[in-house]
Amino acid sequence: MTDGTLIGLISLGVTILFMLGTPVLLVIFYWVIGCSFVIDLPLDNTGNELLNVFNKGFALLAMPLFILTGDLINQSGIARRLSDFAYSCLGWLRGGLAMAALAACGLFAAISGSNSATTATIGSMLHPEMVKGGYDERFSAATAAAGGTVGIIIPPSIIFIVYGFLLNLPISDLFIAGIIPGAMMVLAMMTAAFIICTINGWGFLIKLSPMRVIKTAIGAWLGFFAIGLVLWCIYTGKASPTEAAGVTVGVCIIIGLICYPLNKLMGDDGETPVEEKSAVSMLVVKGFTIMSLPQIVSRSAQITGILVPLIAISVAMQQVMSSLGAKEFIGAFVTGMGGYYAVLFTSMAIVFVTGMILESLPVTIILAPILAPIAASVGVDPIHFSVIFLVGASIGFITPPYGLNLYVASGVTGVPYFRLLRYTVPYLIALISMWVLVALIPDLALWLLPAR
Amino acid sequence: MSIWSEAASVVPAILSNDTWEMKNAFYSDGMWLFGVVVTLVGGILAHLLFKAVPFVERHLERGVSVIAYLVIAAIIFWGVVDRFVFSNQWSGSTTIPPFLFMIMAWFGCSYNVKLRTHLSFSEFRSKMSPKGQMSALTMDTVLWFGFCLLAITTSLRFTAYSADNFQMVDGVDNVMKWWFYITVPIAFILMSGRVVGNWLEDWGNYKAGNPIIKTAVIGGDV
Repeated sequence: MTDGTLIGLISLGVTILFMLGTPVLLVIFYWVIGCSFVIDLPLDNTGNELLNVFNKGFALLAMPLFILTGDLINQSGIARRLSDFAYSCLGWLRGGLAMAALAACGLFAAISGSNSATTATIGSMLHPEMVKGGYDERFSAATAAAGGTVGIIIPPSIIFIVYGFLLNLPISDLFIAGIIPGAMMVLAMMTAAFIICTINGWGFLIKLSPMRVIKTAIGAWLGFFAIGLVLWCIYTGKASPTEAAGVTVGVCIIIGLICYPLNKLMGDDGETPVEEKSAVSMLVVKGFTIMSLPQIVSRSAQITGILVPLIAISVAMQQVMSSLGAKEFIGAFVTGMGGYYAVLFTSMAIVFVTGMILESLPVTIILAPILAPIAASVGVDPIHFSVIFLVGASIGFITPPYGLNLYVASGVTGVPYFRLLRYTVPYLIALISMWVLVALIPDLALWLLPAR
Repeated sequence: MSIWSEAASVVPAILSNDTWEMKNAFYSDGMWLFGVVVTLVGGILAHLLFKAVPFVERHLERGVSVIAYLVIAAIIFWGVVDRFVFSNQWSGSTTIPPFLFMIMAWFGCSYNVKLRTHLSFSEFRSKMSPKGQMSALTMDTVLWFGFCLLAITTSLRFTAYSADNFQMVDGVDNVMKWWFYITVPIAFILMSGRVVGNWLEDWGNYKAGNPIIKTAVIGGDV
């Protein structure tokens, strides 16, 4: 049997494992091991990668820290205040609560860097209210899943960190390049939500009250402060993304610990409606105690314990694919398509299809080092390509059969996986439209970058 | 030397407390056989430890991960404050955290095995018959053991190599890299213990006719 046949059989075997519900980590691991036997790569290569990936991992450390930031702002009540603010701005429109959920995802994403944290936080917070507000539960769950996609596009973003780490691109530039495309994705999804809700007549309208908007904006000040802090650190270059993440974590912990006793002193039980709260009481959030800190960190550690092993094993997979000549094969295929746009759209198609069956981290680690040089060779700006690539990877979060956000949304809302698929379609159309737009107009990604 | 004698020579090498001896013994083919024993026996012992001491069962991996996480955040936060406020920065503030990150990741990975929250496509599995589900879970058990075996064997080699070369963490005095690397095989032995515990739990549920697969929610049971 030829090596190609053997590798084909191994790939088929691990696909069956995947369909049988074996964890993705093991599926990739056994593909790597099987291929290593075929091409005579020592198993120590794979094993060493499980440790080596951390040796040069200071840049990668931003990832767990931004995941922790997400949990801290959720537990401290800052995320709730951001969603209150979004609702007071958008509640007067048909589908206002759905649009507020999407806007809240965008705001949350600007502090946290994780798609699943965004989906889980906003989904668990707003799904019950959306169902109470007359929205279809499937639509509500799909909204949380789709909103989470911007978690990795609006800076900070854990996958931009991995991308920059792999391709040696400045992570701060990648973050800045994600701002406009991320905001456009939110707007596109809000438009989709507005159309669906208008057609179905979902949601109760609230009056637009400037007083309420101002009060909730005051209530969300800590969220805006955290967003400003992250952007300031990154934009001015005063701190590396990892340091920016560490500072944000430190600030969120301090805020949470200070606000807890202050909030108790003000007698806020958390149930009082915004209208009845004084502007002063809106200045502080729920906060948390030092005793609850391990519980909060534990959740972040759990998510990190899922994602980081996946990164390590995906790096090993990338090495095996290089040894197999995947770079040359895919390169010949993609460049054979023609010039600039042909390469761009073929790359996008590859990312889209791969994103349907793999988690975005393996997609990025495996394909980015192959596709980015090809794109660069036909004149695509590397930063522009990174945004195109990762918008595509983020769309993979809501494409079946393997859409991570769909699982998370299903988990936090209780809506079965297959039932929420129908309402992801309009969001998919909106996101793909934005994706094409970002690909066609490089300035959408590059405009905010400092002079280069 | 046969693979059996190579495997047997690993034990005296460890007992010799000499990193050169250990490195040589670990880089033989017999080390894989030794790894099989460590993975299986270590896993069973870890499972017994978890059963005997519920506090350890609930908090060991989680506790290690949380402490590592908080120490990383504290070092980096203080590094920035130190730089901006005191115009100073500890040289280890960028080199120690990646090693703590490694500890956090692999202990966290083990804890996720316990919670069964590693990402998977479980739609078909959840619709299988109990027999089919039990077979799939048994297959997972074998696959996890294989993963632990490779990680334990190669990380022990890596650790011995690092210790033998006196590799030190950059930027700090007297902190050896192998002090951190040695935690990786420990994390994987604990993971092997979780695999044993999960399979026994599944088998018990299967025999009793109880539902075998339960929905695991990321961040749910922490």
